[in-house]
Amino acid sequence: MANHDPIVGRYVYVTYAGKEYRVYYEENGQGIPMVCLHTAGTDGREYRHQLCDPDITKNFRVIALDLPRHGKSIPHQDFYKEEEEYKLTSKFYSEFVMAFCDALDLHKPVIMGSSMGGNICLPIALNFENDVSALIAIEACDHSPGWWIDPLHHPHIHGGEVCATAVFGLMAPQSPEEYRWETWWYYAQGGPGVFKGDLHFYSHDHDFRDLCRKISGKVPIYLMTGEYDFACTPEMTEATGAKIRNSETIIMQEIGHFPMCENPEVFKKYLMPVLARIVDADRDRRPSSHSAPSGRVEYNFSSNREDSLSRKPSSRW
Amino acid sequence: MTRYTKLTELDVEWVGKWARKVNDDKVLRVIGRFFDANFVIGIDEQDYIIQVRGGKIEMVSNEIHANMMGWQFALRAPASSWNKFIEPVPPPMFNDIWAMAHPLHGNLKIEGDTKIFWQNLRALTWMLSLMRQV
Repeated sequence: MANHDPIVGRYVYVTYAGKEYRVYYEENGQGIPMVCLHTAGTDGREYRHQLCDPDITKNFRVIALDLPRHGKSIPHQDFYKEEEEYKLTSKFYSEFVMAFCDALDLHKPVIMGSSMGGNICLPIALNFENDVSALIAIEACDHSPGWWIDPLHHPHIHGGEVCATAVFGLMAPQSPEEYRWETWWYYAQGGPGVFKGDLHFYSHDHDFRDLCRKISGKVPIYLMTGEYDFACTPEMTEATGAKIRNSETIIMQEIGHFPMCENPEVFKKYLMPVLARIVDADRDRRPSSHSAPSGRVEYNFSSNREDSLSRKPSSRW
Repeated sequence: MTRYTKLTELDVEWVGKWARKVNDDKVLRVIGRFFDANFVIGIDEQDYIIQVRGGKIEMVSNEIHANMMGWQFALRAPASSWNKFIEPVPPPMFNDIWAMAHPLHGNLKIEGDTKIFWQNLRALTWMLSLMRQV
């Protein structure tokens, strides 16, 4: 009897701005759709533990996509003729994620992303508040400078080894060696210039320092950051959360920038109370057997909830 | 008594002990095969010049030696930063060279020909992590 993971992978065609993209995604579970966004320069394998966790998949249809140029999602067909190096933008990234959700006919998904996938939750909150039900922004803040640098894409430097090693120290020393080196491996497999190009969004194009206060608060945002993240420190996340209505900031101990894959056990401890609250708030889609979370939670968070939130229509780019 | 050596108490002898750890390491023989460089580890005002060939440390000196032909890059930080870096479980922001050097933090300076630094980052990171075993 073969021993399989319960994950199923498929390709879906996503049309965006006149180009067709063949996008790979993996999924497992049923219930509220939850789209998981990988970090810069890597792919959806980072979520393999959550995709296989029955405590999560009993209430959520967990979906992890590979953005174009990442993992098994090939670039658009004309990439080799581009006259400018690859630079991910906030506009492309946020709109492409929503186009992917449309292609799969997902209704008001939860979006959970880490690092650049966490940062993009802020533009999604601002521009697509009517199209998502909750946002889990892991290792996210309003401005994360210092990473859009040439050594990460240079013909004299081994891109795979340097990208992977540059992020290795973002993981906590307490995280299991096995998972830290697995994450290193994912990074070593990135396409040329993709990590650096993603960091154009992460460190340059993404600047929400003034825009955070424009987020209406219609969609709850959970900001979760590990104490070993030196790219987006707990202080940077806390400062961001303080500016966003209906947000909660959760600081995670003994974990770094890649919670879902560097230490899935520790991450689960922090994630499950968040997921329980999302399920509880989703009256239409929660299972009839669901009961509201009770008892003491194991983390401290600072809340920036407001009872009277200003409502505004969603504005698109 | 601390569980680890304080670099403020260090001299070239401690650096020599670390060099022996490096040279006994079997992984570095693979990942450091093409790591040829002279680099500086600066602790407060003291520079230690490390001569590496094929991932092995061939020479350590607390002053530039005529035969070393200079150095390519330097990692300079206060002893307080290095002491945190070499703790068995280093604290946040001090567990990695790039973490300490990142512009957000500035706890370590990378100077000289930084291209050589980035080219050898994998072997160098492994090499420096062995400081926690001295």
